[in-house]
Amino acid sequence: MLRRLLQAVPTLLVIAVLNFCVIQLAPGDAADVLAGESGGATPEYMTQLRHRFGLDRSKFVQLAVYVKNVLGFDLGYSFRDGMPVRELILQRLGPTLLLMGTTIVFSIVLGVFLGLVAAAHVNTWRDNLLSVLSLLSYATPLFWVGLMLIGVFSLKLGWFPTSGMESVAAFYEGWDRVVDIAHHLVLPALTLSLFYMALYTRLMRAAMLEQWGMDYVTTARAKGLTERRIALRHVLRNAVLPVVTMAGVQIGALLGGSVVVETVFGWPGMGLLAFQSLFARDVNLLLGIFFVSACLVVVVNLLVDLVYFALDPRIEVR
Amino acid sequence: MADRTEKVAEDIVADSGQDERFAIDRRRFIQASGLLGLSAGIAGVPFEAAWAAGEAAGDTPRKGGTLVMVVQPEPPTLASYNNTSGPIGQVAPKVYDGLLEYDFNLNPLPGLAKSWDVGADGKSVTFKLEEGVRFHDGKPFTSADVQYSIMEVLKKVHPRGPTSFQEVEAVDTPDAHTAIFRLKRPAPYLMKALSAYESPMLPKHLFAGTDLQNNPHANQPVGTGPFKFVEWRRGQLMRFDRNPDYWRKGLPYFDRVVARFIGEAQTRTAALERGEVAFAAYNAVPNVDAKRLSTSREVIVTTKGYEMDAPVVELEFNTTRKPFDNQKVRQAIAYAIDRKFVIDNIWFGYGKPATGPISSNFKGTGMYTADVLRFDVPNRMAIANKLLDEAGYPRKADGTRFEIVHDITPYGEEWRRFGEYVQQVLQELGIKASLRYEDVATWIRRIYTNYDYDLTSDWLKTFADPVIGVQRQYWSKAIRPGTPWVNGTRWTSPRVDELLESAAIEPDVKKRNALYHEFQKLTVEASPIVWVMELEFTTVYNRKLQDAIVSPLAVNTSFDRAWMKA
Repeated sequence: MLRRLLQAVPTLLVIAVLNFCVIQLAPGDAADVLAGESGGATPEYMTQLRHRFGLDRSKFVQLAVYVKNVLGFDLGYSFRDGMPVRELILQRLGPTLLLMGTTIVFSIVLGVFLGLVAAAHVNTWRDNLLSVLSLLSYATPLFWVGLMLIGVFSLKLGWFPTSGMESVAAFYEGWDRVVDIAHHLVLPALTLSLFYMALYTRLMRAAMLEQWGMDYVTTARAKGLTERRIALRHVLRNAVLPVVTMAGVQIGALLGGSVVVETVFGWPGMGLLAFQSLFARDVNLLLGIFFVSACLVVVVNLLVDLVYFALDPRIEVR
Repeated sequence: MADRTEKVAEDIVADSGQDERFAIDRRRFIQASGLLGLSAGIAGVPFEAAWAAGEAAGDTPRKGGTLVMVVQPEPPTLASYNNTSGPIGQVAPKVYDGLLEYDFNLNPLPGLAKSWDVGADGKSVTFKLEEGVRFHDGKPFTSADVQYSIMEVLKKVHPRGPTSFQEVEAVDTPDAHTAIFRLKRPAPYLMKALSAYESPMLPKHLFAGTDLQNNPHANQPVGTGPFKFVEWRRGQLMRFDRNPDYWRKGLPYFDRVVARFIGEAQTRTAALERGEVAFAAYNAVPNVDAKRLSTSREVIVTTKGYEMDAPVVELEFNTTRKPFDNQKVRQAIAYAIDRKFVIDNIWFGYGKPATGPISSNFKGTGMYTADVLRFDVPNRMAIANKLLDEAGYPRKADGTRFEIVHDITPYGEEWRRFGEYVQQVLQELGIKASLRYEDVATWIRRIYTNYDYDLTSDWLKTFADPVIGVQRQYWSKAIRPGTPWVNGTRWTSPRVDELLESAAIEPDVKKRNALYHEFQKLTVEASPIVWVMELEFTTVYNRKLQDAIVSPLAVNTSFDRAWMKA
């Protein structure tokens, strides 16, 4: 376990350096964008900005400074936002994890359940219906689903707010606030979950059907176990492994996919921050987000290994 | 002017048709009367008088409530003294005040300065300051703060300040409530640059001697305005609460102003329709939705309140390389663009045809002239073809003349449509144009640093005076590689330089206008730019919201008089 953690350190460093190099490929810099947004600037102002951002130093010096800072867990300063990158990211980490967590739990639980149902009733109308539904939600663009949900549940029915994380006219405190945030979370989490749920349903169905044909199932039947017990006790445990693997791999994608959902629902998450900082050429902030995302992926993969261990005792955690 | 008047008149008719209220409310009354010229003076009356008039009409402002506005995109900082990025200007003036405010004809009204006096030689301006004004931290506002804000902050670190205050040598402070600007030469444009949006008055005691950009109060502003900054939840909202000690007694009406950030245009529209948000300026609701909502019962769509921005949509030529180094080629394209078509079909009618470098917004000041070379003639395509033949670019066997790349300014969908339109028009002329769409940073670098382009679309705000907004595109000294929104066409003329430089310091209004008239004639003749249209931004707001648009800077003002009907 400890070895796995230590192995992650060089991986993260390589990622950090690669990130830095990739970002340099984008033409234009933060000073250009700032001046652009201002509708004009004097040359003195531009030079002053570039100097302040450290953009007048050579790329190698910039890289060296960056790597040194990362080693000291210092993510630098976002000049555009006038705040340390760490603070900016921490502000966004909560909403991001809330949305991500809800989505993962919701989509896996529902995906596994529906996959199970589909596999149990393979080639019946239930299976076909689920297949069509999952195909639809997998193929529909997220932003469209989001807008449609807003149209139906906010504008027509008035059940949920259109956007944001809490009611700004009220500024609730305590439990009221928790309820308020949960109320705001429903539509974005649902939008994002539909996509992943569809994927896990398909995956779960296929894995279940594959496992049903295995020898151990015959053995279990020979022992006289009921079909229900075989499905839940033996087959499910094996079939859920690919789903867990997939979910682990998709954490990165989930961060990216939430850019769309965060934009549509005005959810103050990290995906949106990354998106904005890219267009603003806010290099420090962007690198910081990449770095934190990389850390998240590493941590989640460790967690996935632990889940494997729990599901399948043959796998050892070293 | 005519179409604006019609629009307002229509609004009034639409309003009175509603059973909920027959009386024309005060705001509309002022707008309409000012525009129709019924009472030329009314726009100039101080707000107290106008307010009294409103009360007489039976429209008593209601205290309390939260005004939720949507600001798009999220501002990068709140340091409005250092960064003039659009969204900052929508929130910072809730906290900071300026010396002056303005009426719809761009005439100054009292702000923190209750009166002012321009010296006979135009080389001094004396401001008498409002007394008993306190910053949100309780410290008094005095002439020392004015001196500090102008000389140490705006003149040094504001993107436009060095231009606006170029002639200001010193600010004298004979007593705590008098500030005298000492000028090297007369600077007529100076009086237009003193709004809370353009030149906020900062607390000297919190900023003096610190690193201005990294001062903690850059993002936690402390001003004298009607609302106090409370918090900024990044990616989500900014919150401003009522300042109970505001120097305009009894104001503001709202308990709170919240600015929300919603990235997706459709969601912003939905939030307005559902009443979650009451105010959205600067096309935060896109024109296509604004058009649809303009008949709605919940919201009002208006183009008022951008008179001090006066943005112009342009096509800019790279005048230093072929084929656009040739005046005839440039003119040909100016003839070919159908301005009416662009306005109606690409901007959904929110615009007016432009005739030259100075917006017709300046009609009231006498600076604008329509007496220039006009491209909106019936046989314009024939003229355009003839000009291209004369310029030495005849049609080849395949019907084409030459090929260019047309860059599109990366500010959204309309610009792509506009690019496609230009492409089609050029094709009619036998010019093959391929389109290039890059992101903002890349595009700025291409146009204003590397000058690596043939023809680009663009839009610039011409602001409240040509010295601040117009001069930068035509002055030879405004060719500054690496600085966006200056002279990117690199077209120059000694006579134009001379005109611009003398107009900048000409105190006599008539003489100054004459100089600008000649400037307009010369530049239109040379056509380094095709002035396509005067862009009209739209503001969409809840029908219950009153008195939010009372100035040519509308959303860029404090909202101290805005209130919500029950």
